[in-house]
Amino acid sequence: MFDSDGWRVIKKFIACFFMVSVLVFSLVHACFAIGQVDAEEMLNKAENDLASAYASVKESDFAGANVSELLNKLEFAGDLLAEANNSYRVGDYEKAYLLAVNCSNTVSNVVYEASTLKLEAEEAYSQKLMFNVEVGSIGLSILFVLSLFGWRFLKKKYLEQVLEMKPEVEAEPK
Amino acid sequence: MSFDDFRLIYVLACLGLGLIILSPTLGMVIKLPGGEQFSEFWVLGPGHMAEDYPFNIAEDQAYKVFLGIANHMIGLQYYRVYVKFRNQTEPLPDSVNGTPSALDPVFEYCMFLRDGEVWEKEVSFSFDGIFFEGNSCRVSSLVLDDCILSVDKFALYDEEDSGFYCQLFFELWIYNASVSGFQFHNRFVWLWLNMTRPN
Repeated sequence: MFDSDGWRVIKKFIACFFMVSVLVFSLVHACFAIGQVDAEEMLNKAENDLASAYASVKESDFAGANVSELLNKLEFAGDLLAEANNSYRVGDYEKAYLLAVNCSNTVSNVVYEASTLKLEAEEAYSQKLMFNVEVGSIGLSILFVLSLFGWRFLKKKYLEQVLEMKPEVEAEPK
Repeated sequence: MSFDDFRLIYVLACLGLGLIILSPTLGMVIKLPGGEQFSEFWVLGPGHMAEDYPFNIAEDQAYKVFLGIANHMIGLQYYRVYVKFRNQTEPLPDSVNGTPSALDPVFEYCMFLRDGEVWEKEVSFSFDGIFFEGNSCRVSSLVLDDCILSVDKFALYDEEDSGFYCQLFFELWIYNASVSGFQFHNRFVWLWLNMTRPN
């Protein structure tokens, strides 16, 4: 099919193609490699994102919301950030960068979810407080009315008892 | 009993009943001050007791301890534990002034704890590359939770206590929202390690 010159040309072409491919791949990798500065920036971003998420979850928790699910996310993100920082310390900037990105993504919706939960918890608290105030007011009114009736009844009983104890004159002295 | 005494008892009984009726509402509105706020931080030996801590260290041998934190700070807290490694001449944290050690951490843990919650972790560590040269010992790397960390520390021979001493210590830091950063929580625990020559 090919003579010896043909084979030689094909071999040269394959060798050139291989070398160019290696060169292109190495250059592309060098262009897109993640350096220390990128990793540091991403770590700072992840740190800030996690801190904001924590502040929101803390507020929701204080308001009485059920934050168990959000807490799981925070813990997962915290582990990722710690691992990212540890990778950064040993010079694995690429891993640190990827872990920091993952950390930021994990907590991306936490602030919003925590705010929603906080509003719900505050609303539930207000409703419960209103209910308690209403029940308390009714209870106090009933107590007030009953205590007046009770006081009249007990006062009457007390006076009857006192009158029974009063000494009576049997006969007029002559 | 006089009439006035009787009336007083009746009024007090009615007030007591009124308070009982109002107690659910008062409980929601009045916040009583909490107790003392603090965090517990501890390190336990391999048997989960305060004994048998790793002390005589040989190269490539694994050791384990348990590190724990308990939150009594009222509310959710964001903690960080920095692991540091020092020789006898390097600074420790200052518990009187509440300042951390100036050394850079070699590793860290991160955790979120609600009030009353406890975090505990089994920490396994070993040392790679312990070299002895006359009166000094060089420790090149610490392997902590399967992560190889370059420490590169020199320990001089301690004549008084007969050994080459290094210290692995853990500092507890807490996130302070008012300064938007972590602050040393003035809690630290440590392990004294005597680097031993291979037989």
